[in-house]
Amino acid sequence: MAPVITLNFVDYAIIGGYILVMVLVGYALKKYMKTGEDFFLSGRSLPGWITGLAFLSANLGALEVIGMVANSAKYGIATVHFYWVGAIPAMVFLGIFMMPFYYGSRVRTVPEYLKLRYNEATRGLNAISFAIMTVLMSGISLYAMALLLKIMLGWPLTQSILVAAVVVLLYVFWGGLSSSIYNEVIQFFLIWLGLLPIVFLGLKEVGGFAGFAARLQETLLHSVKYLGTSNNPLGVDWFGVVMGLGFVLSFGYWTTDFLVVQRALASKNINAARMTPIIAAFPKMLVPIIVVIPGLVALLVLPEFGQAALPTADYNSALILLMKHYLPNGLLGLAITALLASFMSGMAGNVTAFNCIWTYDIYGTYIRKGRPDAHYLKVGKYTTVIGIAISVGAAYIVQSFPNLMDYMQLIFSFFNAPLFATFLLGMFWKGATAWGGFWGLLVGILTAAGHYILYKAGVLTYHSDMAANFYQAIWAWSADFVVTIGVSLFTAKRDPKELVGLVFGLTPKPKAEARWYARPAVWGTLAVIVAVILNVIFW
Amino acid sequence: MNDTIETKDQAAGMKQGHVLDLKLPIGWLLGAYGVLLTVYGLMTEKEMYAISFGINVNLIWGILMLAIGGGFLLTAWLKKGKAGK
Repeated sequence: MAPVITLNFVDYAIIGGYILVMVLVGYALKKYMKTGEDFFLSGRSLPGWITGLAFLSANLGALEVIGMVANSAKYGIATVHFYWVGAIPAMVFLGIFMMPFYYGSRVRTVPEYLKLRYNEATRGLNAISFAIMTVLMSGISLYAMALLLKIMLGWPLTQSILVAAVVVLLYVFWGGLSSSIYNEVIQFFLIWLGLLPIVFLGLKEVGGFAGFAARLQETLLHSVKYLGTSNNPLGVDWFGVVMGLGFVLSFGYWTTDFLVVQRALASKNINAARMTPIIAAFPKMLVPIIVVIPGLVALLVLPEFGQAALPTADYNSALILLMKHYLPNGLLGLAITALLASFMSGMAGNVTAFNCIWTYDIYGTYIRKGRPDAHYLKVGKYTTVIGIAISVGAAYIVQSFPNLMDYMQLIFSFFNAPLFATFLLGMFWKGATAWGGFWGLLVGILTAAGHYILYKAGVLTYHSDMAANFYQAIWAWSADFVVTIGVSLFTAKRDPKELVGLVFGLTPKPKAEARWYARPAVWGTLAVIVAVILNVIFW
Repeated sequence: MNDTIETKDQAAGMKQGHVLDLKLPIGWLLGAYGVLLTVYGLMTEKEMYAISFGINVNLIWGILMLAIGGGFLLTAWLKKGKAGK
């Protein structure tokens, strides 16, 4: 099959330039990697704007971008809920209320917080499931990307996988988390510069927003108006969107996923750490410009998705087809580079998060405890090699068993859904006990699995798979919440003295706050207000 | 408990840590892309831009990226000059 897009020498020069710069940045960072904290947490030395942009980009992987364009072509403007409802409140909450405990307690990882707040078992459950998930997810996206490059550009699968793996390996091995974060910041600029030309040319062709309004179905044009019942393109009612997506899934991901929290922990001080997710919230609100508009344009200009669309239309190809439709060689190379950059930085992010959890929470806890720092630095560096090797292996396994991808994503969702309840109670209720936390988390995971089985068996029915997913998260979260409280009432309380710095109400307020215009609370409130206004505009 | 104290000391000693100014690689990369796209835009024929409604998007976007990249390099150099004094 002929590739969809043909690149020329200018395009390849742009792609090559990006790879060269990434490797050079990694090499330049090599000399700073003297301690474990340098390698795993960038020496806690980065300014807020860098960690903030990295925080956003860590989540803006190539597959997310492609997937969100596809969602926009399927669901219309309602896709903005994944941003304005499903991200902003959680990011602001993390910055204002939770970061003081993460950064203030000087834990190095999210599971380490669980160990201090609850017990070793809770940490183990979270650390081991997260490490396995992260490294396998990295392999899955490696395969998905290589497959995309094969279909669209005709690049052989094995070469794509190996080149990506070697580039990521080089710069993470040399520069650790700093490399990963710097790559994410560069990716942030590339993704905007690479995709905005499609937005402008697309709006020009369809005649701007008036063109959308005149030619698209009414239900695709509103974010909130049709959420009263589940008779909307999403197939989810307002309760599912607000509680499932906006509360449980979003808070669970943004506030407890080490991939993003690690970026904030790399900040140079507590104010920068708290500002990290809030700085990220502002560009996050604008991401719909580069995903929702192209998705709607695709519906109008690409015959594949128009009135005569086949039910089998693959919406995931929408973004690439738009690139072919609008971009001449040159800008085409820039757009492909933007996708490659977000893909590689996603992989680097997964690998650095895996490294840190493996070295501190698994190796340094269960295998070799109490070694000097230099030992863990070395382990971290070689874990990079192993992590990438496992990713490549997983990529090849997924290639032979495509269904495996769906199963793995499914299992991961069981682990993620309840976690936020454990953190919420841990940080804001001093009465939560060690075993309360453990059993709450475990029952939450089992509830998610049980809900899934009942849904598949037809006992529970929803309007769409998305609705099932949102409600599954709500049930898992509620089970975790109730069981944690229940078990806590009957098990031994922790001595409040041990919980200072970990729990709200037992931790003294920081005395010297930044000036008002640098305060997280001020900017966080502003972010929420802007998100509300945006929702009203696109009501 | 020991390693927590150690971590604090390390953190205090490393605040100046990773001094590589990220504005430089961003500036160089975007600037180089700007030059490349501008030159390529000037060299290419109008027919190539039929898909972008006759607009030479390479030229326009190239100049824009040159400006953004130049802006990053300029701020980095100004800051360096200040620190030098």
